[in-house]
Amino acid sequence: MTEFILALLKLIFIALLFLFVWQIARAIGSHLGGFERRTKSKPGSEIVFVRSDNQAGLDFTVDDVVVVGRSDQADIYLDDSYASEFHLRFSSIDGGLVLQDLGSTNGTYVNGRRIGSPVGLSKGDAVQVGKTVMEVR
Amino acid sequence: MTRNAEGALILAAALMAAFGVALVNIAGQQPIGADVALTFFVMVTAFGALHAAVRRWAPKGTPYLLPLAALLAAVGLSEIYRLNPEMASLQKWWILIGAGLGILTLWGLSSVGTQILRRYRYIMLLLAMGLLVLPLLPQQWPLPIRGLAVNGSRLWVSLDLGFIEMRFQPGEIVKLLMVAFLASFLAERQAALTMRTRKVGPFEFPEPRQMIPILVAWFASFGVMVYQRDLGASLLLFSAFIAMMYAATGRNTYLVVGGGLFTIGAAAAWSAFAHVQTRLEAWLVPFEHYETTGYQISNGIFALASGSLSGTGLGLGRPSLIAFAPTDFIFAAVGEELGLVGSVLILAMYALIISVGMGIALRSRDLFRKLLAAGLTFTFGLQSLLIIGGIVRLFPLTGITLPFMSYGGSSLVANFVLIALLIRISHEERV
Repeated sequence: MTEFILALLKLIFIALLFLFVWQIARAIGSHLGGFERRTKSKPGSEIVFVRSDNQAGLDFTVDDVVVVGRSDQADIYLDDSYASEFHLRFSSIDGGLVLQDLGSTNGTYVNGRRIGSPVGLSKGDAVQVGKTVMEVR
Repeated sequence: MTRNAEGALILAAALMAAFGVALVNIAGQQPIGADVALTFFVMVTAFGALHAAVRRWAPKGTPYLLPLAALLAAVGLSEIYRLNPEMASLQKWWILIGAGLGILTLWGLSSVGTQILRRYRYIMLLLAMGLLVLPLLPQQWPLPIRGLAVNGSRLWVSLDLGFIEMRFQPGEIVKLLMVAFLASFLAERQAALTMRTRKVGPFEFPEPRQMIPILVAWFASFGVMVYQRDLGASLLLFSAFIAMMYAATGRNTYLVVGGGLFTIGAAAAWSAFAHVQTRLEAWLVPFEHYETTGYQISNGIFALASGSLSGTGLGLGRPSLIAFAPTDFIFAAVGEELGLVGSVLILAMYALIISVGMGIALRSRDLFRKLLAAGLTFTFGLQSLLIIGGIVRLFPLTGITLPFMSYGGSSLVANFVLIALLIRISHEERV
């Protein structure tokens, strides 16, 4: 009889542990889910500044062609002393996103690798110019 | 999840600790009494006060970390009580002291913010170096602060205050200071480290000049740790260094170079230290050295095996057969008494803490805070992984503690401060 009670108590203890962990995991999951739902309907066309001195959190959408650089003439101004006047170009081709470096001095990096020729981007790719990092959402 | 839910879960964790201690009492056919109440009281006081401090000084901080830490401490405390009730009462004191230091961290940063750590990075580095060499002080000399040799390693410091002798491992605090220093240093030099590079074959390296201070810091800490025979901690610090370089620059070069340096270091340690060879042997063929060096690992495996699916029940196994069960091998003891289900739940708790910490790092917009959160979470996660992996024979065993569960004052206190820092960072990022 005591053995049965001890086994039962043991299972109750483990079940309570499970309930606790499950509660927190579910809360974290719904928290992250809230972040997912905020993304735009058209995937892979939104660019977000994730790391920057002054532009972190800003975003823009690539509908056709967007030139990014340190010049006032660029479509998107890039506040980074390592950036060139016209640094890079995002273009939306057949629903895909393409990135081209416009002969910049310090280069453009995709996921840490310096690019030479135009590259296709997919969701989650990180584009780095100097100290600034942009992410494809 | 709201702050109130956090409070409720902390209360639940305290009840779980009391329940665990009661189960041990029932299994040992002792009266249920003072220990149950005292455990509940200590858990509620420590984590409740920390919760109140978060409400006061970091109201927007993440609500997930405290309940998870509380539950880990609750399971750890029940198991330590089951192994050695005297150690459990000491552990209760350490939990209270740790929570106190966590509160002090939140209070201290409440007006100045974590940026203060960024500003005083060289003071932190000096402090870390000073703490690192403390255990090398002579064991016999007139000053009340002395080094101690325990189990062949020089990691401990004894502070003799006349009426009480306190012992601590400064290495645990050094870890936090080094991570904060690296985060500050890398945040300052990020642009230079990423942009001004030299190409060597397929790899790009930053200019050597940029690397000098960091290499000095690394060699100094590494050297002292190897000298102190604490290879687990030096591995931890080295990996944190590589991980933070990678997080700051996004360059695979550092992972490749780090892997190479690790291989060289491991080979050197293997040929230079007899105890590394013994460890490796005990890892590969523990049962052939059952009587000697493989004894601890073998008994850990036996404990996990006899735990089976749902365990023997708290207080009903024989985990005291394992050497160092309350400190390094707490996971094996828990695995025996709560079984595979219980151990997987423990792993899930660590995984959740790591994912929350990395989530804070990912969402941080300030580079210093990002690197600090990533570095702290990385050391926490790697430490858990190394010791659990050592027990289940995934890696060779390194004698380090399991955060929040193992018996051990210095480690517990350091982890309380670590969690407080993560909560503070997440608060600052949401203001």
